[in-house]
Amino acid sequence: MPRNSREQICRNTSIHIKPQPDRINEYEDFFGNKVIYFSIEKEHWELTVLVTSEVERMESEHSRLIDYPIAGLEEVKTELLGPDADVIDVKQYLFVTPMTSWNAEIIQYAMQSFQPGRSVFEATHDLTHRIYNDFEYKPGYTTIATPLSVVMKERKGVCQDFTHLAIACLRSIGLPARYVSGYIETISPEGVQKLIGSDASHAWFSVFIPKMGWTDFDPTNNCIVSDQHITIGWGRDYADIAPMEGIILSSGSHELTVSVDVKRQNSL
Amino acid sequence: MFADCYTSSDTMDLNLLSNPIFSDYFNFHHSYGELVGEDGNIRPHWETFFHSYAQVGDEEMSNRNNDTMRLLKENGVTYNIYGDPNGMNRPWKLDNIPFLISGEEWTTIESGLKQRAQLLNLILEDIYGERKIIKKGILPLDLIYNHAGFLRPCNGIKQPGKHRLILYAADIAKSTEGKLWVVNDRTQAPSGSGYALENRTTMTRVIPELFNGLKVRHLSPYFSALRNALNEIAPQKNLNPRIVILTPGSKNETYFEHSYLSSYLGFTLVQGNDLIVKDNFVWLKTMGGLERVDVILRRVDDIYCDPLELKSDSQLGIPGLLQCVRSGNVSIANPLGSSILENPGLMPFLQQISIYFLSEDLILPTIASWWCGQPAELQYVLDNIQTLVIKKIYRNPTGSSSIDGASLSASQLSACKEEIKANPSIYVGQEKVEISLSPSLIEGKILPQKVLFRSFLVSSKDEYVAMAGGLVRSSANAGNFNISSQTGGFSKDAWIISPEPGRVVSVLKESPEGAVETYNDMLPSHAAENLFWVGRYTERVLGNARFLRTVMQFLAEGNKLLNENNRQTERNLLEAFTRYSFTLPGFTGEKAEELFADPWKELKDILFNEKRSGGIMFNFLQFHKAIHEVRDHWSTDTWRVIRRMEEDLQNGVPLTHHGHLQMIHTLDNLITSTVAFIGLNRESISREQGWIMLDLGRKIEQSLLVISMLKTTMVKKFNDQVEYNLQQSVLMSNEGLVNYRYKYRRPLQNLLVIDLLLFDPNNPRSLTYQVVRLKDYLKNLPKNRGHQSTTEYERLIFEADSHLKLADKNELAAPDDKGYKNLEIFLSELYHLLSAIPGVISKAFFKHEMTPKSIIFR
Repeated sequence: MPRNSREQICRNTSIHIKPQPDRINEYEDFFGNKVIYFSIEKEHWELTVLVTSEVERMESEHSRLIDYPIAGLEEVKTELLGPDADVIDVKQYLFVTPMTSWNAEIIQYAMQSFQPGRSVFEATHDLTHRIYNDFEYKPGYTTIATPLSVVMKERKGVCQDFTHLAIACLRSIGLPARYVSGYIETISPEGVQKLIGSDASHAWFSVFIPKMGWTDFDPTNNCIVSDQHITIGWGRDYADIAPMEGIILSSGSHELTVSVDVKRQNSL
Repeated sequence: MFADCYTSSDTMDLNLLSNPIFSDYFNFHHSYGELVGEDGNIRPHWETFFHSYAQVGDEEMSNRNNDTMRLLKENGVTYNIYGDPNGMNRPWKLDNIPFLISGEEWTTIESGLKQRAQLLNLILEDIYGERKIIKKGILPLDLIYNHAGFLRPCNGIKQPGKHRLILYAADIAKSTEGKLWVVNDRTQAPSGSGYALENRTTMTRVIPELFNGLKVRHLSPYFSALRNALNEIAPQKNLNPRIVILTPGSKNETYFEHSYLSSYLGFTLVQGNDLIVKDNFVWLKTMGGLERVDVILRRVDDIYCDPLELKSDSQLGIPGLLQCVRSGNVSIANPLGSSILENPGLMPFLQQISIYFLSEDLILPTIASWWCGQPAELQYVLDNIQTLVIKKIYRNPTGSSSIDGASLSASQLSACKEEIKANPSIYVGQEKVEISLSPSLIEGKILPQKVLFRSFLVSSKDEYVAMAGGLVRSSANAGNFNISSQTGGFSKDAWIISPEPGRVVSVLKESPEGAVETYNDMLPSHAAENLFWVGRYTERVLGNARFLRTVMQFLAEGNKLLNENNRQTERNLLEAFTRYSFTLPGFTGEKAEELFADPWKELKDILFNEKRSGGIMFNFLQFHKAIHEVRDHWSTDTWRVIRRMEEDLQNGVPLTHHGHLQMIHTLDNLITSTVAFIGLNRESISREQGWIMLDLGRKIEQSLLVISMLKTTMVKKFNDQVEYNLQQSVLMSNEGLVNYRYKYRRPLQNLLVIDLLLFDPNNPRSLTYQVVRLKDYLKNLPKNRGHQSTTEYERLIFEADSHLKLADKNELAAPDDKGYKNLEIFLSELYHLLSAIPGVISKAFFKHEMTPKSIIFR
């Protein structure tokens, strides 16, 4: 369920599950995301989960910025070494995870954007742009188990792969980056181009820049995240914030379909 | 002989060290050790010990050593080695010379360990709570957040009881200077306490004389404390909580210990798929339905415990377990997430943390360690790598846990350095300690060995309780710093030489009055299923062995008289055996003619080839596997018989092609041991659900086998002589010749053979006999979930029963021109009904067809 953040407030959310679950628990996870656990203990052939949320989306401050912070890589890293207790929350996004592990090739790829003297904001924007240009969006080519080294080699993937790649690039050079799971506008207002990845769940990344805070970039759509993105939650990688996961007890096979609608209520 | 050197034990003291028994000892080493003090004299406790040793004498000690090995083997004390096909069920090795710890030294160790357990508990609470030590900069963030054992879903979870860390074990080494060091902390699911207890039990049985004159502390108070600790953490102050031991299964390294502790403590041994989450509670699937579980003593690594929130592809856990823990409905020892403390990176910071939390210095120093996440330490490790042991902060469960810098080649060394530099914060350099040497009995000689002492602690209401003893592992390899059961070596008992502080209690006597529960309905479905299969495989091995023996006997004799009747009988028997044992194509396939020409090669393959599906060895291995899955059900005597069956088969392989008689002899032995196994079960297993499942399996298998036997041998029409031969073989394979002669007192006849094997209610091998008992067992299976109507399996057995009752024997025995058609149809119908029963029972009680699968929404 969508969480609140600097850019959005979840006004209302409801969940309908068929068949009726025997048990529903609601809680916040380690990263502050809202989690709903449910279990259905009777035999069933079909399970439907429908979540409807009303989210107020503010336009991101930085998308309007003209004078963005010009701190470079070394300055940002020095700032992160500080003893400030709040830094813990940021520093936890510095470490490698199984889905974001990097190799020399990935470091090399990152360094091309992070040239000396360039601001972190600008360099990250450049990285986003390069991933968009260098990689082909090809659904079905990768699975969640495909390692980044393969994605790097094949230059193909979907939004999760591009997001993990960007995160690996940033962490490999010492920048905190987190994985954001969410949705993007599916029914675009007239004149606005429809974004890629709008029919299912989407993912992008966020980098921490001092004085600016967490700043979101969408490598699949080559953009700085603005008001077309609705955040569900975030974590270190996909494994922390899969939109839905579960265990079924069955002897047969199963099929899964997902669809998402994001519609503007009152466009300003 | 040694004992002859002294007329009286009083005169020996001064000269003990120069005694021949120590000649080998000092050839190897002569420095500070456990045995000799700095003053050059033997230490007092060792003196008393070797005094008793001398009285037993060298030769007798060697005999006792054999007794020890035999006893351990008979008790089924084993450990498994991963990744080694021959590593399953290795016998446990115990050195008859224990490791002695003086009372004075123990006082230091005990207080040091209690302090360390207390400290680790506070760290654990803090890591999953406020994380003050991280916020205050006492402990670097990386050491926790970069550690795979930091389980974020466990954040903020609390369970009842004074401590969060319930069980703790520490590996302690003593340096040659006599300093004590903690080398490893074990906080996940510490193993070894059961082996320690078994070692002690064995020593007191085999060589009680060695205890003379020494006050050796008892181990039982530790186990009472363990029981209390588990009661203490039960949710909602349940006075009589249901406690289970969660095991990964019989292939686990220390599975013996899991089942040993389960029977010693009286806790049900379960695997992940025995448990289920419903309504935020954990339940045990038993034959009688679901039973609520309050406390889980886990021997499964934490990330494997809940595939829903932790490792999604784990088949060892219980989906939804963490939800139940979070709801406070079940408690786990140790709680999930405690593997974060198995972290060599913590060691350099423990002293500071101890000051912070306890305002005390560490009593037992930690081995000197340098965490590479800090620049100066990193540099030190890189510069001194050859003198250090390099460890990762997180133990890879499959790979080796540490690298000895001195063992690396130049290229390996630089690769290792590069690896450390690439990711410094996951590496730790540890000082290498010269471990002091302790006397050990190796192949009849007393030799100095390096030893590592594992001590066990458990939470209690006031403070931690340490086992007054422990598990000692020794290594002969002087250069080998890592001592573990995985890499071989011996174990030793540890004796704390000091008077018992309080009264000695046995764990069973410790239970409060009236708390003794009966677990009649507690047979876990998993155990039920395996018992059922033990029953089926026992009969399958026995049935096939008997038939094979009959066939072989006929071949061995029939070859001499090559008349047409014998040849026809031979062919029919061989074909029948192929079908009966499902070793198709065998004598029925395209190559049948070739095989008929030399049948022995094929028969030998069926007997000994472990990969030959349907063969004797193959079925025996299936039997063996099922036996080990429920190993706590078998008595010591039964184990001896099981091992004999194993040996019969293993030693029975003939070396030459002309080993016909030897193969028949192998089958004779196997049949006798299998029958002994069945007999012992009848003698020793109490008539509860476990027995019912076992015997149910046997009876089902016996029914199907007798039908198969008749169907493969008696439905075709031959001349009288061939039919006679076949009937005789059938009776021989069913232990029926004597019964036949006694009952009918006339030559073999089709009708009477059928009567004896299908309808005789008094013949324990007849189908009717099996069906009557099956009907009874099936009627008495628990009717869970409130159903009182006739179940599917009852319907099947009733139908089979009435089929048998309504049959017209004369009609069945009457041939038409093609053969005994009526008999064939009759047998097929019965087979159809009876062979459906296992599937129905499985659905009702075992549910093994339901496997958890993870669904992911990408």
